[in-house]
Amino acid sequence: MKTHNFTLTIEDRIATLVFDIPDSKVNILNHQSMEELNSHLDALKKNTEIKVLRFVSAKKDIFIAGADITEIRSLDDCDTAYDVVRHGQIILEKIAYLPFPTIAVIDGACLGGGFELALRCTYRIATENKATKIGLPEVNLGVIPGFGGTQTLQKLIGPSKALELILGAKYINGAKALKLGMVDACVPQGYLDFKLAAFTQSILNPIEQAGILKKRYQPTLVERFTPWVITMVAYKTVMEKTKGHYPAPLAVIEIFKKTNGMDSTRALEFEARMFAQMAVTPESKNLISVYFALEAVKNEKALVSKEALLPVKFTSVIGGGAMGGGIVWLFAKMDLLVRLYARSFDKAAQTLQHVAQSFEFLKKRRRLNAREVDMKLSLISYGTDLSFFGHSDLAIEAIVEDMATKKQTFKELEAVMRDDAIIATNTSSLSINLLSSDMQHPERFIGMHFFNPVEQMPLVEIIPSKDTKPEVIATIVGLARKAGKTPIVVNDCPGFLVNRILLPYINECAKMLHQGEGVERIDTLIETFGMPMGPFVLADTVGLDVGYKVASVLHQGYGERMEVSTLLDRAYNELHLLGKKAKRGFYIHDGKNKTLNPDIQALQLGKVHLSDEEILDRAMLVMVNEAAYCLQEGIVKNAQYLDVAMIMGTGFPPFRGGLLKYADTYGLEKILHALLRLRDKYGMRFEPAPLLQELAHTGSTFYKGIK
Amino acid sequence: MKHERIAIIDGIRTPIAKSGGLLKNLQAETLGAHVVQELALRVGIDYDRYDEIIIGNVSQPVHAANIARVIGLKAGFGPSIPAYTVHRNCASGMESITTATDKILSGQGEIYMCGGVESMSNIPLIFSPALTGIFEGLFKSRSVSEKLKNISHLRPEFLKPIIGLMQGLTDPTNGLMMGSTAEILAQDFGISREAQDIYASMSHNKAQAAQVAGIFAQEITPIVYDALRGKVMMDDDGIRYDQSPDKLGKLKPFFDRKNGTVTAGNSSQVSDAAAAVVIMSENKAKELGLEPLGYLSSYAYAGLDPSRMGLGPVYSTAKIFKKTGLTLKDMELIEMNEAFAVQILANLKAFESASYAQQHLNQSIAVGSIDESILNIHGGSVALGHPVGMTGTRLVIHLLKALRQQNKNRGLATLCIGGGQGASMILEVS
Repeated sequence: MKTHNFTLTIEDRIATLVFDIPDSKVNILNHQSMEELNSHLDALKKNTEIKVLRFVSAKKDIFIAGADITEIRSLDDCDTAYDVVRHGQIILEKIAYLPFPTIAVIDGACLGGGFELALRCTYRIATENKATKIGLPEVNLGVIPGFGGTQTLQKLIGPSKALELILGAKYINGAKALKLGMVDACVPQGYLDFKLAAFTQSILNPIEQAGILKKRYQPTLVERFTPWVITMVAYKTVMEKTKGHYPAPLAVIEIFKKTNGMDSTRALEFEARMFAQMAVTPESKNLISVYFALEAVKNEKALVSKEALLPVKFTSVIGGGAMGGGIVWLFAKMDLLVRLYARSFDKAAQTLQHVAQSFEFLKKRRRLNAREVDMKLSLISYGTDLSFFGHSDLAIEAIVEDMATKKQTFKELEAVMRDDAIIATNTSSLSINLLSSDMQHPERFIGMHFFNPVEQMPLVEIIPSKDTKPEVIATIVGLARKAGKTPIVVNDCPGFLVNRILLPYINECAKMLHQGEGVERIDTLIETFGMPMGPFVLADTVGLDVGYKVASVLHQGYGERMEVSTLLDRAYNELHLLGKKAKRGFYIHDGKNKTLNPDIQALQLGKVHLSDEEILDRAMLVMVNEAAYCLQEGIVKNAQYLDVAMIMGTGFPPFRGGLLKYADTYGLEKILHALLRLRDKYGMRFEPAPLLQELAHTGSTFYKGIK
Repeated sequence: MKHERIAIIDGIRTPIAKSGGLLKNLQAETLGAHVVQELALRVGIDYDRYDEIIIGNVSQPVHAANIARVIGLKAGFGPSIPAYTVHRNCASGMESITTATDKILSGQGEIYMCGGVESMSNIPLIFSPALTGIFEGLFKSRSVSEKLKNISHLRPEFLKPIIGLMQGLTDPTNGLMMGSTAEILAQDFGISREAQDIYASMSHNKAQAAQVAGIFAQEITPIVYDALRGKVMMDDDGIRYDQSPDKLGKLKPFFDRKNGTVTAGNSSQVSDAAAAVVIMSENKAKELGLEPLGYLSSYAYAGLDPSRMGLGPVYSTAKIFKKTGLTLKDMELIEMNEAFAVQILANLKAFESASYAQQHLNQSIAVGSIDESILNIHGGSVALGHPVGMTGTRLVIHLLKALRQQNKNRGLATLCIGGGQGASMILEVS
C-alpha cells in the first residue's frame, strides 16, 4: 500500500510533484502532508538539474481542498496555534525560494491552504472545469488565511480585490480567476495536457515569460496613494453585514491595515498571530461545528440505492401563490419541465410574472444570461385543467392551508396521475398522516415544506407519513439537494420541526410585549443576540395571518404549552393587522421606514421593564425547551440536524453554532434552573422537557456523541 | 394512400396576433414551443415515443436555423427526438402534415408532432447590398485611413433598408407582389372593389359571431406574452367587430394606387401565431386507445402560373377529386384560405366554370359549384390574420373541429400558395 502523499518525477529536466493522499478522495494540507512536502522542498532546493517544477494533483476535480479542519478545531491555545501556522508559512514560503520557477496546475477545487500553496508558486494555470474553484474561504470557519495568503494574494491582485475575495469567502472559477489575475492562464480541461506543455515551454522563453508577467496586476491610484480608504470601506461593509458578531473578517482588515509597508517576515508573523487569536475564539469553534453539521447533513447516505430512485423529469405545481411561484421557478431553474395548474389564465400569468422576475434578478446578477433564462422559462407550461397531469413524475401542491381542499385536490390528482408518481404537499403545518388518510396510494405521498421566499431560503423540511415508501423519501431528498437546497427529514407532528420551535419564540415575545415590554427593545435585543431580524419584524414580514394560523395549529396540537398570546390573537382577529404586505403590523411600514404601531401599544396591559437576561432567556430557552421535546420525540435525527434546520430555516446565528450548540455552551444545568424559575413566575409552558432534565442531571450535552 | 388514413389526434394553436402587436416580442420558435409542449401534454403520449418533429415555417429566422429543432428542444423533447423544418410557402403548415403522412405510410415512423409557426413581426429589415459592401470593406480594413476611405463611399440612399416582409411576399420569378397577383385575378374575372369589400366584411362578421360563441377558444391555448408584466393573450385580435363594406370602402388600394381594388382591408392580415397537431396511422391510434380529432384521407398539391397563384385551390382540388373520385357534393364544409377576398371570389368563378376547366385543367367539365353556405363558415384569414407558415395547420384543426360541432363528417381544406401552387386536403371526422 502506498504511504506517501507526494511523488516526484523528472523528465527532460521538467519536474512534476504529484499530490495524492492515499485512500482519500481529496488532497488536504494536514500535519503529515505538510511535513512530507517540507522534506521534498528541502531536497529540491539542491537539485540543479531541474528547470521547472509543476505542482499537480492526482485527484479528480480537486487540486487541494484546503487545510485539515479537524486540526484547526483541535487548536485550543493561542501559542500552539501560532507555532503550527507559522511553521506552515515557513514551509510554503520555501516554494518561493526554489532556484527554478514553479507552476501550480489547478484543475479542481483550490481552496484555503491549497490556494496559499499555489500563491507561493511563480505561475498558476487553471482549467475551465466546472469543479475548478479558487478562493480563500477561511472566514467562513471563523479563522483567516494563515499560510501567508493575506500577503501573497494582495501582492498578486492588489489589496482591493484580495480583501473582497477573502472577506466574501468567494469561490472563483477558472475564467474569472484569469480575469482577476489570480492565475496566468485558464484552459479547457480537455486541452490541459498540451496547453500545460506549451505553457511550461513559454515560461522558459524570456520573451514569452515577460509577456506573461506583463499582464500581472499594477496598483491602482487609490491603492498607491490612499490605501487606508480600502480598509475603511471594507470595515464599514463588514460591520453593516455582520454587526460585529464575526471577529475573523475584522481581523483580516486589521492585517491589511497593519502590514501595509511592513517587511514580509514581520507581516507573516502578524498574520500568524491573528490566525492564532481567531482559531481559539468560540465563534470559530461554533462555525466549525456548523461546518461539520452541514457536511453530515450533506453526506448523509440515501435510504435506497441510486437505481431505486424514482425518475423526476416532469413536475407539476398546483397553486401559483408566493410558494407555488417560487417552486415553479426552482424547478424551471433545475431544467425540469413544469406544469402549473392555476385557477385562471390571469392567475397563471401572475405566477409567471413572479417566476420571470426571479429569473430577471439572476440575469441582473449575471448568474444566467438572457438565452438561458429564455430556455428555462420555456420549460414552464400552464393551464386550468388538472387532466393533463398524466406525464407528471411529481406533483407538488401549494394551495390554501385547508385540510378538506387539499384532500380534494389529492383525490383529483390521483385520478389522472400514474400510480407510482409522487404527490407532495408544501403544507407548513397540516399533518401529513391525516392529509394522506383517504388516498388510494398513500405510499407515494410526502411533505416537502419549502420556506418563504423559496428563491432564497435554503431549508426544505421533508416529512414522510407512516406509509411513505423509502424510495419516495430518497427521491425527494435528492431532488431538494439537486435544487441546491438543504433537505432535512423530519417526522410528522404539528408545525413539523422549524415552525414548532420558532412559533413559541415569537409567541413568547408577543407575551412579553403584552405584559408591557417595548416592541423595539425586544427586537433590538434579539438582533444584538444575532438573529437576522427581531421577532416582530419577522412576524410582520411573514404576515400575521400566516403566523396566527400556524400558532393556532400548534396550540391545538400541543395545548397549554403553546397557548396563542392574547396580543397576537387580538392584533389579528380584532385589528386585522396583516404585517408588511398590508403596511400595518407590529410596525407601520412605509417603504423602507417603519414606525411603531400605536394600535399595538393600546393592547398592552401596562408598562414593564424586563432585564436583558430575562428577555433573552424567555425568547431563546422556550426554543431550546421545544427543541429538546423534538429530539426526545424523534422528530429529527440529532442535535446537529436540528441546528442545521434552525440556521437554514430561521437564520439562527451560525456564530453561535446553532440553537442546541448555544444551549450546550450556555450549560444545560443553568438552563434547567432558568426554566424552573420562569415556570414558577410565568407558568407551565416553561416546564423543562424530560430530555433536557435528564441531560442536565447527568451533566451531559445535546451534542454528546456527535463527532 | 387510398385505404389507409392518417389520424389527427388533436391540435391546438396560439391566438393570432396582429403583426407588431401583442406577440411581437415572442420569436417564432417560442410560439411554436408553447403549442408543441401544450399539445404533447394534452395528448399524453410519452415524449420519447415521438418519431420526429416536423414544423412548417416561411420566414425561417436567421437566429434559429432549422426552427423545428429549436422548438423541439425548447418544448422539452429530449435531444434524441429528431426534427426538421419544411417550407412550401403558405402551405408550410400543411406540408408538415403531409410530409409526416408520407413517412408514416412508407413505414419510416409512427408518431409525429407537426405544426406551423410564423412571427411576421420579426422578419428583419435588410441592409442594402451597397451598405453591406461598405461593412465588408470596414471589417477587412487594417488601418484607420483604409477605414475612412471605405466610409467615404457611403451615400445617404444606401441607408434605405430592404423590408424583409415585402421581399418575402414578392415572387422573385416575375417581380409581382402577392397583392399584385390578386389584382390580376380581379381583372381576369372582372371582380369589383365593392364585391371584395362585401366578402371581406362578411369574413369579419362571421369570425365575430364565432369568437363570441367561443368556437375559436376551443382550438386556442392562451399564451403569456409578457411574463415580466404578467400579461396573457386569450383570443385572436384581428377581428374587427361590426365591420361593414362602407368602412372598408374608405381604404386606399395598396398595390395599385391608381386603379387597384385590393386594399389592406380586403386582404388577409399580417400576423403572428403557431399551431400544432399530433398525427399517426389510424391503426396506431386504435392500438393506443386514442380517439382522434379526425383523419386525413387524401391530399394533393398542384402547380400553376405564379402570376395567378391565388387560383391554386382550383388546381389542387381538381387533382384530389380525380385521385379519389369524390366531388364537391361529398364535401360538407370547405375551408379555403382567404389570402385575398378577390382570390376567394375568383376561385368561386373558376371552380364553376367549364371553360376554365377545359382551358387550364385538362378536363371537360367544371370542378363544381361551391355552396357558399358551407365555405369558411367562421370567417377566414381576412378577419383572423394569415401568419403564413401557420395557416395550413390552423385550417386542418379548424375544419375538423367545425365538422364535429356541426355533426358533419367530411370536408375540404385548401389554400393558394405564393409562387403558384395549390394545396388540398380531404379530412374526415369518422
